[in-house]
Amino acid sequence: MKRTFPLILVFVFGILGIIPFFVPHPVVQNADEFLRNEFLRILVAFALVLGLGSLLKVHIDKIKRKRENWQYSWILIISFLISAIIGLFGGVGGTGILPTTIGSFQFDIWTIYWNVVMPLGSTMFALLAFFMASAAYRAFRARSTEATLLLAAAFVVMLGVLPLGDRISPHLPSFAQWIMDVPNVAGQRGILFGVALGALATALKIILGIERSWLGGGRE
Amino acid sequence: MIFILLCALMALAPPSKVRAYDTPNDGGGSVTIEWQISPDDKELIGYQIYRSEDGEIYEKVGFIGPGRTRIEDETQDGPEYIYKVAAVQDTIRSYSDPSPPVMSRAHLVDRTKTNVFVSLLVFGAIILYFTYAARKGKEMFIRKIAGLQAVDDAVGRATEMGKPILYCPGIGYIEDIATIASLNILGEVAKKCAQYDTKLINPNRDPIVYTVAREIIKESYSSVGRPDSFDPDNVYYVTDSQFAYAAALDGVMIRERPATNFLVGWFRAESLILAETGASTGAIQIAGTDQVSQLPFFVTACDYTLIGEELYAASAYISKEPLLLGAIKGEDWGKFFIGIVLIIASIIGLLTTFPILGLFR
Amino acid sequence: MKIIEILTNIDRRIIYLILLIVVVLPLIFPSVEKVRVMPPVEKLYYAIDTIPPEKAVIVDFDYEPQTAPELDPMGFAILRHVFKRRIKLLVLSLYVQPLGLAQNALTQVIEEFNSAAKTNADSIIYGRDYVFLGWVPPPIIPILGMGESITGVYTVDYYGNQTDTLPLMEEITNYNDVGLLVSLSGSDIPKYWIAYAQSRFGLPVGAGITAVSASEFYPYLQTGQFSGMLVGMKGGAEYEEMVERTLKIKSRRKASEALLSLTYAHIVMILFIVIGNIGYFAKRRKK
Repeated sequence: MKRTFPLILVFVFGILGIIPFFVPHPVVQNADEFLRNEFLRILVAFALVLGLGSLLKVHIDKIKRKRENWQYSWILIISFLISAIIGLFGGVGGTGILPTTIGSFQFDIWTIYWNVVMPLGSTMFALLAFFMASAAYRAFRARSTEATLLLAAAFVVMLGVLPLGDRISPHLPSFAQWIMDVPNVAGQRGILFGVALGALATALKIILGIERSWLGGGRE
Repeated sequence: MIFILLCALMALAPPSKVRAYDTPNDGGGSVTIEWQISPDDKELIGYQIYRSEDGEIYEKVGFIGPGRTRIEDETQDGPEYIYKVAAVQDTIRSYSDPSPPVMSRAHLVDRTKTNVFVSLLVFGAIILYFTYAARKGKEMFIRKIAGLQAVDDAVGRATEMGKPILYCPGIGYIEDIATIASLNILGEVAKKCAQYDTKLINPNRDPIVYTVAREIIKESYSSVGRPDSFDPDNVYYVTDSQFAYAAALDGVMIRERPATNFLVGWFRAESLILAETGASTGAIQIAGTDQVSQLPFFVTACDYTLIGEELYAASAYISKEPLLLGAIKGEDWGKFFIGIVLIIASIIGLLTTFPILGLFR
Repeated sequence: MKIIEILTNIDRRIIYLILLIVVVLPLIFPSVEKVRVMPPVEKLYYAIDTIPPEKAVIVDFDYEPQTAPELDPMGFAILRHVFKRRIKLLVLSLYVQPLGLAQNALTQVIEEFNSAAKTNADSIIYGRDYVFLGWVPPPIIPILGMGESITGVYTVDYYGNQTDTLPLMEEITNYNDVGLLVSLSGSDIPKYWIAYAQSRFGLPVGAGITAVSASEFYPYLQTGQFSGMLVGMKGGAEYEEMVERTLKIKSRRKASEALLSLTYAHIVMILFIVIGNIGYFAKRRKK
């Protein structure tokens, strides 16, 4: 029963997920909307509580047992509490019960978002440039004919998008564009076809109970 | 008389042949109105659509630009409606003849999706046939996938070095197929970790994925008889912010120095940040995603990459379950069949315009 | 040979340091990189330039801070063009987050013009020369609604004024009074404008997009659905070049300055790849 009930649930909800695609009747569409927009949101809310509980437990445990780098767990917990209190009680535009302005200094949730979260996210995003350089240096070797072709295409595209490429040859930018528009798109389409069919097959396998690894453990 | 003639010549011509019908293949509440454009279309600012229930009092229900001949109107199912279309030029309106009455209703089936339904049945039938054949004991050949061959070695390496394994199921949600495929692989990897008593760290970006992953790992440990070895503190939710999650994982990689990193699932821009940081720690990295834009980063920075559908085949490949292998076989034959159809349709399309191609629009 | 070992095993920190220097130095000591203007950018420029005086241009700011370095310069250059030509301007956003970026762009560009203005007629005045419509949820409804009445969708502007009381909005009713819409976006938003505003109301649409997403938009340029397109930093630099060359507006050209960083970064990456391959082949030969 422990494994049968989830399989029945998956089958029923899987079929319920497919039917609205083919049946436009409002009874079916409304049921689908309820499942997706309300039922799922409630599930997510509960799962979020579980997730946050797990996060706090891990870090509180780290502090209690003074495990390596336990000091950073304090930073996490304090940041978590400050953001939660300001977000929950300060309101979005400082419209909550907690005052979020001292003189001209604002510390509402938007301030935290614009001055802390966004710069940190942008910083992580900026790391990509450096990692691309080191990854390219390490991995782009002309080991075979295909690898050499790939390297040549990479050089053409990298130079073609710059003003320098135009100075090297006026045809370089157009050739670079052709590489992006034709071979690149063709390769992408091939993979996308496989991905689409693979996704369909995986979904069917799970709904029909053929694929059961997500249940954990071995097959009964 | 001349004045009347002049007025007639200068009058704005209305749109003609107004036709209103229940919008097909929908859930009701919509009527489609079509018309032929006014001969004075070039001078118009557009067309106004009017609706009446009794044929006497009309209300304006829509507006569309010049040159357009079709609009859909939101209606209630049940009452009958009559439509008129007016050509509009500044403050001048020229009204068409009214349409016959029309009533909207909900349809049970969307006929435009018949081809999808048939394809689904055919594809499903192919998969089921091969699954049935596998159940009967037929041998199913599956080609070597380097990334999946390496899973055993990767887990063994971590065991020998006494270092943990890091498993990242991507930043997707539970409804993403790549995340589900990743969790299937997680189950198999967790079983191996349980057998060899290797620490498995699994930080998650989505709370639902976290809860599912935790249960999968717990069940996997129980299935090999090692329930006490499962440490729930090694499976946790981090944050749903994309780059904060990447930063957290980078921190785990630098501090814990896992011997093996699994980066399998749905990824976006943070893929290279994770892969390159993992490479800098000397870990073996097995990656897999169906995101075409992230594949080049994984191919460059990781030791093994599962491309697209190889990710979906992984669970069958690792477990060697005959039923799953049969399903993979069915999938491959389905793809082959679609490939043949594409080639034939392309040739036909190149040679001629063929009405049958309309089936695929 | 030791040199081969060095070539194949350059410490990644050296790579990062060199990249940091070549990216940051041109930003600290900016110099403008001249670019050849490509046809998609020219098309957009002339599409804006030839808007009849009675029509307006709508600029849709729909990008987030992460993509601002690529798209902000485009926005600035387009605003300078529009204000210099005294084309009526409406600014909006389909999401909340980009509103701050739109506000920032308007404030900076208007300050440039007004600080040089001698009379009221020369100045850029809110309500007379431009209106910041703001944001109305959800994205598709305002796109469709503006086909009939812009003030019907945006009853109040970003600052809380009733839009039908603004002098500019007395002349602009709906898309028929709009000569072009330019959508600056790091995502799929320009496609929404094509699907809903252009197909239904015939609104001409131009786009400013990030380099990463360019390949999915080229088909729209090829079919003529886009009246022009700016792609990434280079597209922004090309538009800045056009604005400076034809309108003689001298102002800070952020995209053109950043182009040098981009050029050097690419060259450095190419050099490292070449060095790595030299080391690889030398090692192989030695074996």
